Amino acid sequence: MARRDNGVTTPEQPPGGRSAGLRMVRQTLRTAAYGLPVVALLIAWETFARSGAVTMFILPPASAVAERIWADAAAGDLWRNILTTMYRAFSGFLLGSLIGVAIGIGISRNALARWFFDPIISIGFPMPKVAFLPVIILWLGVFDVSKIAMVTIEVLFPVVTATVIGLQGVNRSVIWSARNLGASQRQLLWHVMIPAAFPQIFTGIQVALPIALIVAVFTEMAMGGYGLGASMMSASRLADSRGVFAGIVAIALVGYCVVKLMGLLRRRVLIWHAEAVMPSTV
Amino acid sequence: MTEENAQIVVHGVSQVYRPPAGREVLALSDVSLEVQGREFIALLGPSGCGKSTLLYLIGGFLPTQQGSIRVDGKPVSGPGPDRGIVFQDFALFPWKTVRANVLYGLERMDLSRHERERRAQSFIDMVGLGGFEDSYPSQLSGGMKQRAAIARTLAIDPTILLMDEPFGALDSQTRRLMQSELLSIWQRTPKTVIFVTHDVQEAVFLAGRVAVMSARPGCIKAIVETQFDKADPHLLKSPDFVNKVDEIWNLVRDEAIVAQTARHP
Repeated sequence: MARRDNGVTTPEQPPGGRSAGLRMVRQTLRTAAYGLPVVALLIAWETFARSGAVTMFILPPASAVAERIWADAAAGDLWRNILTTMYRAFSGFLLGSLIGVAIGIGISRNALARWFFDPIISIGFPMPKVAFLPVIILWLGVFDVSKIAMVTIEVLFPVVTATVIGLQGVNRSVIWSARNLGASQRQLLWHVMIPAAFPQIFTGIQVALPIALIVAVFTEMAMGGYGLGASMMSASRLADSRGVFAGIVAIALVGYCVVKLMGLLRRRVLIWHAEAVMPSTV
Repeated sequence: MTEENAQIVVHGVSQVYRPPAGREVLALSDVSLEVQGREFIALLGPSGCGKSTLLYLIGGFLPTQQGSIRVDGKPVSGPGPDRGIVFQDFALFPWKTVRANVLYGLERMDLSRHERERRAQSFIDMVGLGGFEDSYPSQLSGGMKQRAAIARTLAIDPTILLMDEPFGALDSQTRRLMQSELLSIWQRTPKTVIFVTHDVQEAVFLAGRVAVMSARPGCIKAIVETQFDKADPHLLKSPDFVNKVDEIWNLVRDEAIVAQTARHP
């Protein structure tokens, strides 16, 4: 982080067009500096694993894990597992986001909905919803439906909360302006309240995305049935330590890509928002 | 209230403000005011005197608790396109471009697409935002945002323009510029303007009458005629103008002191 800041505020940055090449070099260096801690971690891992302090079983070297990922990718197993996990995570994520926004709108517009949902959301949010997993298994079985249901429930809470807070925070003057310009109650909701609250709602959805991945992998670990989580558990049972670590790295990579894509989507969708011009690290 | 032909008649209005927490406050106490058609009147008073509340009541954004407000003979029962409002914080739709902001009110009127576009463009040009039609509010300066908001309000062609400290968030140079432009717009498209401000010079410069309000609970303390030749470039330095500002400032000062001590007992 400090490195990046130094790069940005370098005082001797030469002005004018001739520096374009130099600026590109700087940009590349900055990007490289950003990835440096990860590279350092990988080197440390590799060195430590090969030092003899631990066995290859306890900690296989990074290169061996990379080889394994490569092999799984070539065989197609990796892609099938990623697609299966993503299908579950995204189904629950989309479902939970939709229901969450709907409940959030209900809470902030309807007294009955507020009376009903408000305490439930307050109690449910801090509670680990995966505690319901045994019940969900009893009710819905151990296949996709129960996994997606679990993801949906976990995604719901941050989205509801963000939607409620976003809608509550819409400026009175903006609402009054819209009414002044002839907006009906329905138009007020769709034309004004939801767009105005959208940056907040989107933040809630962004928070929910990694949660969806985490819960999808976790349910796979608990219930099996393909996917990255299940394949790691079966590798663990077979004492296949490389397979376990390959799973961890694959999940990390998938999660990183998905969250980055979401950040790009935000900048695209919220182009009007002042923050859109600011780079985001998350 | 069978009297006269005033366009806006405020009669015996009292208003209690109930904050979500804490004691309730009497914001307005027995306010009566008449505003003629095409008049430019300023509501002047210390902050917290209820001048904005009075504006919101006339706009129909708040329900009148006691007393009555009539516009063109009809009691106010809610916001309407006959009374356009401009807020201090601009209240633009930040997800819409300048053009889309101005079009929003027009889209709710019975106009052809071509006519809507034409009117939006003419009001954007009128406030001097030509070339910025496709900019988002976040890309504009404060003065430009307020120009866009004024264009959006003027576009629905209200007969009454309610302005709630519209230039209060602008720097002094921009404010001076906007004041002159508002006057020239008002002269070109005659409307009744109720202009809330706590800036004495602004009130005297813009308005034909200044209603001075007392500190909380707000009531009309005095109404002062402030007719000047607004086209005179040296108006702000002319003795008559300076004296008038002084006279009104003396009226306001006592109230400002009361308001100050009320807040810091």
